[in-house]
Amino acid sequence: MRPGDVFPELRARLTRGQLLAYADASGDQNQIHQRDDAAQAAGLPGVVAHGMLTMGLALRAVTDAVGPERVASYSVRFAKPVVVDAADGAEVVVRAEVKAVADQLATVALDVRCGDDKVLGAATVTVRDDEGAR
Amino acid sequence: MPISAEHAGRAYPATEPLAVTAAGIAAFARALGDDNPAYAGPEPVAPPTFAVVLAQRAWQQLFDDPELGLSLDGTIHADQRFAWSRPLSAGESVRARARIEKVRLRPPTALVTVAVDIATSDGEAVCQSVSTLMTRVAP
Repeated sequence: MRPGDVFPELRARLTRGQLLAYADASGDQNQIHQRDDAAQAAGLPGVVAHGMLTMGLALRAVTDAVGPERVASYSVRFAKPVVVDAADGAEVVVRAEVKAVADQLATVALDVRCGDDKVLGAATVTVRDDEGAR
Repeated sequence: MPISAEHAGRAYPATEPLAVTAAGIAAFARALGDDNPAYAGPEPVAPPTFAVVLAQRAWQQLFDDPELGLSLDGTIHADQRFAWSRPLSAGESVRARARIEKVRLRPPTALVTVAVDIATSDGEAVCQSVSTLMTRVAP
């Protein structure tokens, strides 16, 4: 990996069914991810994705290319909620670019958007760049 | 007494061990819409962010701590960082230990930094989670 390397763009559609599956798989049953009335009571326009679901699926932009074993760290700020429409869901678009490589660790910046909104801020993945080991 | 800067350093006991199973890994990967072959087959590893399942169990101890007065409804996950020494695998048993690192009071909210160490039942550290939780406090 070299600075400036770009990973293939990831486009992922989130559905409300997927939010229910994530609630069960993760154990986060907060109702703002399941029911419009609960989301609206919390001041949101409607059901929103779990921040951790958006974080998890955005990482695929990197792991689809290098696998999960080499991921050393991953950090994000939950900047804006991803509102998931009952009929159309929501599309999340992830672009990932290598920013630096030092000490066998590549730093990859993720740009994670839903429509015009940047939904994750300062999203950064470090990848063990042990070329030759694989 | 509600949460305050004096709670920094408070540590909670390790959670009960969680058995990482192939079925649990598959369900988590499916919910992410992730069909990476590493998460299937006879010896699957867990998607990196599967660590949140453990972190969440550890965070629950803060919400159950009557001294802090936190409510899940009044709390937002503001940021999250994970660092892994290796992936979790099916067949392992892991526990999580939470510690309050820092509390910044900005009434009507407080920013609570929580670190969670995830280790195998044998004591091998595999992942650290650091989160900022933004929670409502009385002004």
